[in-house]
Amino acid sequence: MQKRGLLFYFNIYRKILAQDLKSKMSYRADFIISTIGMIFTNISGFISFWIIFKNFPSIKGWGYYEMLFLYGFSLIALTPVQCFFDNNWNLRNHVYSGDFIKYCFRPINIFFYYMSEVFDIKGLGQFVFGSLVLGYAWNNINLGISITIIIKLIISLITASLFMIAIMNLAASTCFWLLNSGYIMVMVFRFKDYAKYPATIFNSGFKFIFTFIIPIAFIAYYPSLVFLRPDDIPVLTWLSPLIGILFFYISYLVWMKGAKSYSGTGS
Amino acid sequence: MEKIISLKNVSKEFKVLNRREGLRGSFMDLFSRDYKIINAVNNISMEIEQGEIVGYLGPNGAGKSTTIKMMTGVLEPTSGDIIIDGRIPYKDRNKYAQNIGVVFGQRTQLWWALPAIESFKILKDMYQVKDKDYKDMMDLFSSTVDLDKLLHKPVRQMSLGQRTLSDILAAFLHNPKIVFLDEPTIGLDVAMKSKIRELIKTLNKEKNTTIILTTHDMGDVDALCRRIVIIDKGTILYDNDIEKIKSIFGNYRTLKVRLGKTSEELNEEAIKKEVEDMELKLKEVYPKAQTLHVSDVDEWINILVNEDEVEMIDVLNFIQRQRKIYDVRLEEISTESVIRKIYEGGLE
Repeated sequence: MQKRGLLFYFNIYRKILAQDLKSKMSYRADFIISTIGMIFTNISGFISFWIIFKNFPSIKGWGYYEMLFLYGFSLIALTPVQCFFDNNWNLRNHVYSGDFIKYCFRPINIFFYYMSEVFDIKGLGQFVFGSLVLGYAWNNINLGISITIIIKLIISLITASLFMIAIMNLAASTCFWLLNSGYIMVMVFRFKDYAKYPATIFNSGFKFIFTFIIPIAFIAYYPSLVFLRPDDIPVLTWLSPLIGILFFYISYLVWMKGAKSYSGTGS
Repeated sequence: MEKIISLKNVSKEFKVLNRREGLRGSFMDLFSRDYKIINAVNNISMEIEQGEIVGYLGPNGAGKSTTIKMMTGVLEPTSGDIIIDGRIPYKDRNKYAQNIGVVFGQRTQLWWALPAIESFKILKDMYQVKDKDYKDMMDLFSSTVDLDKLLHKPVRQMSLGQRTLSDILAAFLHNPKIVFLDEPTIGLDVAMKSKIRELIKTLNKEKNTTIILTTHDMGDVDALCRRIVIIDKGTILYDNDIEKIKSIFGNYRTLKVRLGKTSEELNEEAIKKEVEDMELKLKEVYPKAQTLHVSDVDEWINILVNEDEVEMIDVLNFIQRQRKIYDVRLEEISTESVIRKIYEGGLE
């Protein structure tokens, strides 16, 4: 018996993913329609953004391209949660129907096993779209390209993703204890729409909430300051990778605690 | 023989809110701290040897699921010790899971959209089954069931029977020491039931797997188990050989007679009347036969006779003098009747 290390999990994930994609392709109509739907969602999101900025060329000192930067950045940062952690949305159903019990009898990490079951391919489209938007904004702000700035970009994207994943984990895991946890998921998910605006446009109350309670300001605003306001970076931005990892870890622990306390329904 | 499962004085309590009635009551419940303790499982002990098939029986709500959940590590017992294969199930669940297999009747654990074979391959990696062991196991599988038809169909397109079959195979795939089967034949047709029983039997024999079977179908018990454990209201009522329990209820046998040839002669009303008549008459002639019971099943009249009270041959003779008998059968008391008697408190 080998120890189940990172490589083991990576291999399992790869295999499950390959099978999952294969089976998704077999529902061809479903695949095509959801791809088209995804494209339209992104385009319409972009159009409403564009209309706002045709009327207000800048918001609290944030110009069009800077806002576009935030927008693209947040789309990319939201990709991992969409692709890899989408099964959080089904958690509530699994828990109430009692089906969740099947995840309890496998010799591998239950969080991993559960999340590995669903890979949402629509997230990839979002990633491509986000990259285009970010690239366009990047070019127009004249940020330039160097190895340091690319590394900074990657780190801040990973950090931002961790925040969103952690938020969704926490929201989903409430179903282990609460009966009506559906609201919480939806509410938290709605909040992510605010992630693409600079936190300075909110009053101090909301700014506090979005920083410390539901930390969506970390999804685009705080990390983007590294690129857009390099002379005036708050401490929170520097700390955000650490906070992100910690926050993700806490959300993982809470999720696992819920899963361990789960005992199924009567049969 | 090695004891693979041992439960010692295991209890499980649940804390439940005392609920009040009505809307007002529900509202008050929001602030209530008025809990009551329910003993789902109460001080049970048992030991099971490697390779045994044990039927774990009990009416709904008896505490069966709770025990199984404790044995599979999903629930932690309130008190008592469970040691299975040298481990405490609820501690370190990942390692424990390596040595058990679980099947829940109507809930598949396979990937819904994938053909079973792909699920098997993922499970092979997940449980780190060696190539050779995997191949041997698949060979064994294909010698008992028609694998080709089964394996290449996506699970979502399978019939309930095929799905259960695949689920059972999946549970044995990593050659676990213990397999828990929860109502494996529920909702299946007769042919499928017997196929699944055959499969379980073969796998148990070939791999010496310990099997804990919960079921409401006495056909499963008759086909598979020598030993049964009966639980009700959280306590064990009976734990022994299935044959022994039958003798507890005296020397019962069932005499079945058919009093007509055609369906017209055997219409339901006539039989119902016959049944009542016969019981009265028999009890009149044999006053000692107090537990004698006559009933009807399909076109047959069943007379349950305790041979300590009256000889079977006398009863048959008596009936023959009264009526023309077209067909006769003699049966042992069925497991079904035994279990029913126990549920109804026959052991007290």
